[in-house]
Amino acid sequence: MNQTKITKETKNKIRVDFERTSWWKRFQIKYLSLSFLGNAVWYIFRLVLLLGISYVILYPFITKIASSFMSSDDLVDATVRLIPKYPTISRYRQLILANYFGALLNTLLLSLSNALIQTLVCCFVGYGFAKYKFKGNGLIFALVVLTMIIPHNAVQFAMYMKFRYFDFPFLHLFEWIGGKPWNMINTVTPFYLLSATGLAFKNGLYIFMMRQFFRGVPDELEEAAYIDGSGVFRTFFTIILPMSIPMMITIFLFAFSWQWTDYFYSNMFIQNGKLVLMSNFIPNAATGTVGEASANSAAGSLLIIAPLIIMYLFCQRYLIQGIERSGITG
Amino acid sequence: MTSAKTAAPAKKRRSVSLQAKKQRAGWIFILPFLIGLAIIYLPIIFNSIWVSFNDFQTVRGGGYTLEFVGVENYRYALFTDSSFVQTLATGIQSMIFNIPAIVIFSLFMAVLLNQKMIGRAAFRAIFFVPVILSTGLVDRMDAANSMLENMGTTIDTGAASTSEGMTQLVSYMDIAMLLSGMRVGQGLVGYVVDLVNGLYDIINQSGVQMLIFLAGLQSISPAIYESCSIDGATTWETFWKITFPMISPMILVNTVYTVIDSFTSSKNEVMTYIQEIYSTSNGRTVSAAMSWMYFTIVIVIIGIVAAILSTYIFYQRRD
Repeated sequence: MNQTKITKETKNKIRVDFERTSWWKRFQIKYLSLSFLGNAVWYIFRLVLLLGISYVILYPFITKIASSFMSSDDLVDATVRLIPKYPTISRYRQLILANYFGALLNTLLLSLSNALIQTLVCCFVGYGFAKYKFKGNGLIFALVVLTMIIPHNAVQFAMYMKFRYFDFPFLHLFEWIGGKPWNMINTVTPFYLLSATGLAFKNGLYIFMMRQFFRGVPDELEEAAYIDGSGVFRTFFTIILPMSIPMMITIFLFAFSWQWTDYFYSNMFIQNGKLVLMSNFIPNAATGTVGEASANSAAGSLLIIAPLIIMYLFCQRYLIQGIERSGITG
Repeated sequence: MTSAKTAAPAKKRRSVSLQAKKQRAGWIFILPFLIGLAIIYLPIIFNSIWVSFNDFQTVRGGGYTLEFVGVENYRYALFTDSSFVQTLATGIQSMIFNIPAIVIFSLFMAVLLNQKMIGRAAFRAIFFVPVILSTGLVDRMDAANSMLENMGTTIDTGAASTSEGMTQLVSYMDIAMLLSGMRVGQGLVGYVVDLVNGLYDIINQSGVQMLIFLAGLQSISPAIYESCSIDGATTWETFWKITFPMISPMILVNTVYTVIDSFTSSKNEVMTYIQEIYSTSNGRTVSAAMSWMYFTIVIVIIGIVAAILSTYIFYQRRD
């Protein structure tokens, strides 16, 4: 009772004090102090710095957009920097007429299916590593980390040989049945095999992220389900999987965009060019003479990343939040 | 009576089997990876190491022979190949120079982006763009392009080279003159000039690290900052006494991540060189030998860096 009275009085007093000081005095105290000046300078400095770095990041994209619309006259004209005088869409038209949509469709199908498989498999494997203590858990997880560290260039030749003469080690099943090993080169089988076994590009990272995420999920959740009589897999599919959908979206987006811009595996597995993908279509189609080549390839790379940009505009929140939520930070 | 008798041992077995069941479930969950490991990855790794000790010949009928030659490929890479050792040295040197730059830059940017301001979400989105967009294919096309352009400028000297100088982000000469006017050491001048010229690469490579730092910063309890400000600590003191120790585990994570990332990226000079060797006539085995040597060196670097950093790391939870 007493206390409330005091607060009321003080509040009132503050209000009265505030109204008695003149407008100019209040302005002086608030805006002409050293701390406000420091803050303002810091705000401006920070804004300029961030804008500058954003410019550096976006600069290559801006120049690419600019030069892809330039006609050959603009390219040799030294006065033209960013805005072309005679804009043209011929570079785009040339690429689009040369089977761009075929490549787009094939790459889209391949990337979507592979990213989906990778997401599910990594979720599965990550859950196994996070929630079950079995013998060799640590050792096998160390192997996951190893797949992350070993660069794919180091195993390039061995990987090519593996899929050129595919067979099971020690069993030689295909040689036994068909007389010779299974030649998987120039088919899409290697992509799906690698995705389904969690060995495709950066899948070690996804497994790691998934494991860290599941470690943050309290065990009581599953224990409650077990007590209610739900089995291990039913618990996983009905409780854990729906819960981890935001994290899976993050991993799906990563997997999709890295599969989309992949050239290493695509060029290794698809060598005759029968399956038209972005990776073997655009670099071959977007060429030209020395002056033209850079503008053509700018148009080509913009066509490659255009679907990704659209995706990123809508989904960047998931990507950024996903890493923050994954608890890579321990 | 009989039912109770049968129930008792069954119950016992069940309580044992729950553990076993869970273990088995664990194996089933990681089964896809295990299968891949057994039939694809481990054979590939062993084969790759084995191939680096062999000479490879294709047979006309569609097969190949391997002939054991010992360390011949390694000797060729180290002593006969003229530029491998040099490329390796410069590659590792630039990696060692770039790592502190990337880690410090991403920490700085994370601290900036952690403050409340207008357009914070937009800036975060922009800073993450390179992780998604300038990878793989696009990167490779850019690299091929710049090579072509360089060839062009050497062919018709003059106009082309000046225009290229103009499109550069920061003029090389300006920085060099500015810093040598300040009378700092020649080595430092070189380092700073390299840093400024490599600014784009540094920014490009620090997207994920920035997010990891941001997540770490957000996990620091605001109560600690509050008590600091009540005790009268300045922002500068708070950073060094609170933020820095609390974020130090993430510095280790990020350093290791940066080493791995730059080691496995397609822009890596050494990897590019190894890629070139791979496509020459008998370069397959030699390139395998080269990449395993490089891999060993990088693992040693990671080990040393982790050992040094982990002596300085402060862990809040000691379990």
